[in-house]
Amino acid sequence: MAERIKIAIVPGAGCGGCDVSIVNLHETLLDLIGAVDIVFWPTAMDAKMEDFKEIDSIDIVLFEGSIRTKEHEEKLLLARKKAKILVAYGSCACFGGIFSLGNLFFRRELLEEAYLLTPTTENTQRKLPGKLVNIDGITIGVPELTDANLPIDRFVKVDVYAPGCPPREEVQEKLVGMIRDYIEHGIIPERGTVLAGLKTICDECPREKPEKIVVEKFRRVHEGPIDDKKCFLAQGIICLGPVTRTGCGIPCIKANMPCRGCMGPPPNVRDPGAKYITSLASLVLIDKEKELTDEEIVRRVQEIPDPVGYFYRFTFGKGIFHKTLRRDKK
Amino acid sequence: MAKNKEDNFEPKIIGFLCKWCGYAGADLAGVSRLEYPANIIPIQVPCTGRIDVQFILEAFKNGADGVLIAGCHTPNDCHYMSGNYKALKRIALLKKLLEQLGIDPRRVRLEWISATEGKKFAEVVKEFVEEIKKLGPLQMR
Repeated sequence: MAERIKIAIVPGAGCGGCDVSIVNLHETLLDLIGAVDIVFWPTAMDAKMEDFKEIDSIDIVLFEGSIRTKEHEEKLLLARKKAKILVAYGSCACFGGIFSLGNLFFRRELLEEAYLLTPTTENTQRKLPGKLVNIDGITIGVPELTDANLPIDRFVKVDVYAPGCPPREEVQEKLVGMIRDYIEHGIIPERGTVLAGLKTICDECPREKPEKIVVEKFRRVHEGPIDDKKCFLAQGIICLGPVTRTGCGIPCIKANMPCRGCMGPPPNVRDPGAKYITSLASLVLIDKEKELTDEEIVRRVQEIPDPVGYFYRFTFGKGIFHKTLRRDKK
Repeated sequence: MAKNKEDNFEPKIIGFLCKWCGYAGADLAGVSRLEYPANIIPIQVPCTGRIDVQFILEAFKNGADGVLIAGCHTPNDCHYMSGNYKALKRIALLKKLLEQLGIDPRRVRLEWISATEGKKFAEVVKEFVEEIKKLGPLQMR
């Protein structure tokens, strides 16, 4: 190989967990650094937007985080233009991630909550970010928030998805394999490849499942002991296993916590939350329905306090409706 | 002009009707020459238990202002034993989701209409169309 390939790691709206997961590659990272040039990675090396603009072509771009500001959008469009392979790295880039739950509120509400209303905030001048300020002749400001927090494939075509919050070793192994294939054979993966399994978590889950899973009453994780051998749903605990892709190695379930769905939906699911409602609702009180009135059944099902928060925890940006349809009162 | 448009608002309503009861009821309404508004677009499904919540959201996304689901009476009318209960439970949860999304849950209506209740079908459609007219068009942001 005459020339080393160029990799850029570009952050959008994220928490930095994805960067940590890259560092977590340990020795593999050293091997990788030996074989590639990392030309842009603001979290780890000093670089500005201007530096990114100057690079003319990049082989592989790992885009972390979702799109929440105009700057992220600009960065993403640049990345798409420069990259031969654009990888959506992490659940935020793939599905909008946990930040997408903010789409239930208007931008104005989010800013007011964060900068004015929280009890620990003292903002006597009631200043909100978003306006450019002139200090000593230099105009500065923070990038403007967009209307909603969205996954990157709502803006550009994505070649490879590496889901997970953050992506686990199992996914990273596949990603490193893909990078190697590119270095050695110049293989560019098919557009839309997902570096994870095709089945759902339930398929890999070793827990004991009854013939018919029946939810008698919904329980939350902190309410009483959880049997570590028995299916969560059979215990009334909401587990997103039925609508989540394999490929993570089920660390949560091994740690006796239900799946939260960070790997995103399996193929052919248009709307993960709606699909989960379809699946979960039918488990409630099976075979006992005829003893109860319709109203009682509705009441029991509606005990779930926050359907969006549970069912779309990482995937709201990917849903059929990805933001609130309320009308803004102001 | 805008006001005029509101006045003439003709809602689009998607009806998911189960083959055994809801659709047969609608058929009876037709055969009996009962009048009801033409706003409803009926779609036959084998059972209300076949209705994926995705279908309903997709209907709204594609311009429906309301969704009517008609199936067999509880407890014992369902041809497949408990499909109607599946629909009942899914729609209960969907309504909660719609509220969070900012869509009025009254835009989804579940009714049990048997094959003999052509009259009920016509009345339900009339009522539902009136209700959606009051709610106005579902506006996307």
